[in-house]
Amino acid sequence: MLVKMKKIITLLVAIVTLTGTYAQKYVTKNGYIGFYSHTPVEDIKADNNQVAGVLDISTGDLVFQVLIKSFKFEKALMEEHFNENYLESDKFPRSTFTGKITNIASVDFSKPGSYDANVEGDLTIHGVTKKITAKGTLEVTSGSINANSKFTIAPEDYNIKIPNVVRNNIAKTLEVTVNMKYPLAEGK
Amino acid sequence: MKRPYKFLLAAAVLVAIIGIIAALYMYNLTDRDLQKVKPDFVITAGALLKAFSDDEAAASSKYINKIIEVTGTIESVKAGEENSLNVILGTGDPLSTIICTFQSGNDPAGFPVGEEITVRGECAGFLMDVLLNNCSVI
Repeated sequence: MLVKMKKIITLLVAIVTLTGTYAQKYVTKNGYIGFYSHTPVEDIKADNNQVAGVLDISTGDLVFQVLIKSFKFEKALMEEHFNENYLESDKFPRSTFTGKITNIASVDFSKPGSYDANVEGDLTIHGVTKKITAKGTLEVTSGSINANSKFTIAPEDYNIKIPNVVRNNIAKTLEVTVNMKYPLAEGK
Repeated sequence: MKRPYKFLLAAAVLVAIIGIIAALYMYNLTDRDLQKVKPDFVITAGALLKAFSDDEAAASSKYINKIIEVTGTIESVKAGEENSLNVILGTGDPLSTIICTFQSGNDPAGFPVGEEITVRGECAGFLMDVLLNNCSVI
């Protein structure tokens, strides 16, 4: 009887510990997403250092959220056009990505190093949701998990209308850079 | 050429030059230095968060794009990309804070954790925290 109880308790402890280990969500609110547009006429760059993100290393679930108004440009006028005319940030204040790292099982989070990550999911910009895939890396260090990715998107896909006057100033595809640093210790 | 035409031509050229200068000036405007701009609202970190958590829609229309001078205690400091710095002000709420982004050239050493600070920034809205950009220490 006692042996049986002991077994059950051991099993329970094992389950709790395992689920505890495996349901691990990491959160940051200080991530970075930027984009870059290159044309012969001009280069445009915008940075957002207020990206909120959650990474669940047991399932590979990945969520990002940004405020459109937090993208900062070099020139104030660009920022104004971006918010008021192109992204209509009063109407669509947020952009989100909800997806998965599909090969999360191949990442050994107990061993520091750099791992390739394949990401797929839904990206919502300007009220339009599209499926995207991207390649990235997960860098596991003693203090943090760093998730980095670069991919391209086309403003047209998100129903973003760019007037003819500046058609040549803005690239057909933009390069998006994502750098997230998820601290391993509890913190904000 | 008769004198009135000469005058008209000169006037037209002058208007064109002024126009081009004005357009170039507008095009090259960068973000304002908020140290020199009067704030639209002066508020504590706790009260600013409360406004957004009580009624996000009302707070959004009141605060977004406005210059807000907020006072709070530094909870943590995170260096960001492109030489930026996020200074996180505690609000009394365990989950939500005020994130003040200093866009460039600020030394984390200038922001000791636990110290009270007043920051002027442009409100971008509420995500999981209230977000301020282009921040300056007041």
